[in-house]
Amino acid sequence: MLSIKQLTKAYGAHTVLDEIDLEIATKDVVAVIGPSGSGKSTLLKCINFLEPYQQGEVRFEGQCVGYREAAGKRREASDRVINRQRARIGMVFQNFNLFGHMSVLDNLIEGPIQVLHEPRASAIERAERLLDKVGLLDKRDQRPSRLSGGQQQRVAIARALAMRPSLMLFDEPTSALDPELVGEVLATMRQLAEEGMTMLIVTHEMEFAREVATRVVFMEDGRIVEENAPERLFVSPENPRTRAFLARVLRHHGHHNHNGAR
Amino acid sequence: MQYEWQFHLIYNYWPVFARGALATLEITLGATVLGLLIGLPVGVMRTARSPWLRLPFSIYVEFFRATPALVQIVWLYYCFPILFGFKLDATATVIVALGIHSGAYIAEIVRAGINAVDRGQFMAARAIGMPYIKMLRRIILPQAIEKMIPPFINEFANLMKLSTLGSMIAVYELLQESNNLIATIYRPLEVYTFLALVFFVITFPWIWLSRRLENRMRQSA
Ligand SMILES: Nc1ncnc2c1ncn2[C@@H]1O[C@H](COP(=O)(O)OP(=O)(O)O)[C@@H](O)[C@H]1O
Ligand SMILES: [Mg+2]
Repeated sequence: MLSIKQLTKAYGAHTVLDEIDLEIATKDVVAVIGPSGSGKSTLLKCINFLEPYQQGEVRFEGQCVGYREAAGKRREASDRVINRQRARIGMVFQNFNLFGHMSVLDNLIEGPIQVLHEPRASAIERAERLLDKVGLLDKRDQRPSRLSGGQQQRVAIARALAMRPSLMLFDEPTSALDPELVGEVLATMRQLAEEGMTMLIVTHEMEFAREVATRVVFMEDGRIVEENAPERLFVSPENPRTRAFLARVLRHHGHHNHNGAR
Repeated sequence: MQYEWQFHLIYNYWPVFARGALATLEITLGATVLGLLIGLPVGVMRTARSPWLRLPFSIYVEFFRATPALVQIVWLYYCFPILFGFKLDATATVIVALGIHSGAYIAEIVRAGINAVDRGQFMAARAIGMPYIKMLRRIILPQAIEKMIPPFINEFANLMKLSTLGSMIAVYELLQESNNLIATIYRPLEVYTFLALVFFVITFPWIWLSRRLENRMRQSA
């Protein structure tokens, strides 16, 4: 469903993604770990073309994201095509980024009505179902700023799901949260994974990655250093750099265990 | 120095000031509406991603901010008719010239307001596949407007003061009326002092309101 080949991106002279190869099949849950500045956020942004890339390609559902081939040359695709691709990919941000001037419900129906041109009634119906699912139906008329960080992030997940995406991207969804609010967000994500959603998750929650991911990718300096099943990568990493990274973070975070129970 | 103020002389001429104030208000409102009509789209275009799309609007903004409003008025009044064979009356000239002038400032207010919206809001809107214009209209501008209101009210107060430039081409706004009155009663000190007070009374509330709103926003942010 998502096929990334030789993806390379630079900001000016600074190469941020260096020949990334990654295949994600339907229902895969791939966790991306790695030190800060290794290009994890940029990778996610290239997948839904929030950032352009210079070389290689991202193919989503068989179609190249963001570019088209014209007379042997690569051209940026039209805004209409790019927007249609983005609408199929949900994204959840570290800072939630809920629309601050709208109620929770309006956050959820904005995309379906304005982008998918769905009738209002059915958009509301689905939005309410999703809010119920993340346990926040009683907040439907509140402004996002009235909610806790954990609640805001669950609304943000519901907002992304309201577009009925076939792939969900998460960029450190729990990094901005107080420790006691992390669990509720991870529980929501875990439930989503169990329902068969295809997910690509950048995270520092190693325990969560180990339990929920079908595969784990370790990135450093814009490269994929190691990609493996979680039980392999966390227990007996092949690359010494993976080992060094895990030793570093597990020493810091090893004692906290957010296992996603509510 | 002993000067004997005789403000009671002015009292009899209050209709002169009322007339002038009305003309000042007409100019200010007209220029504000025109400035908004120009400034809103121009400010939005100044945030466009393509530098080529931005260029003409940037030239407009920089040019009209870097030249005096007085020169713009005089140019429109004397030069424009010669070049284009078409003459506006004096009041209309001031309204149009100040409208174009303030349009440049309002465009900057709009641009700053858009840029003050959190980048995450842009990203979230783009990530659900929203087209650029729709994103501005539905997500960004509603959140930017709030930040634009105080500087916008301030610009309105500025225009009130700038309207006195109309006297240079004999528009009967407050300053012109005052000059005429002085020619009749020979009391420049009283007339100009009173004029200053009138301006303070009609301008200060807006400046005060602008500052109030700004403080309140800062506290709630
Ligand atoms: N808009 C940008 N302009 C220039 N450099 C950037 C930009 N965004 C990110 N970078 C750089 O790209 C590198 C990777 O950033 P990022 O993808 O955010 O890493 P991560 O998410 O793994 O912490 C960093 O060195 C960062 O400084
Ligand atoms: Mg990041």
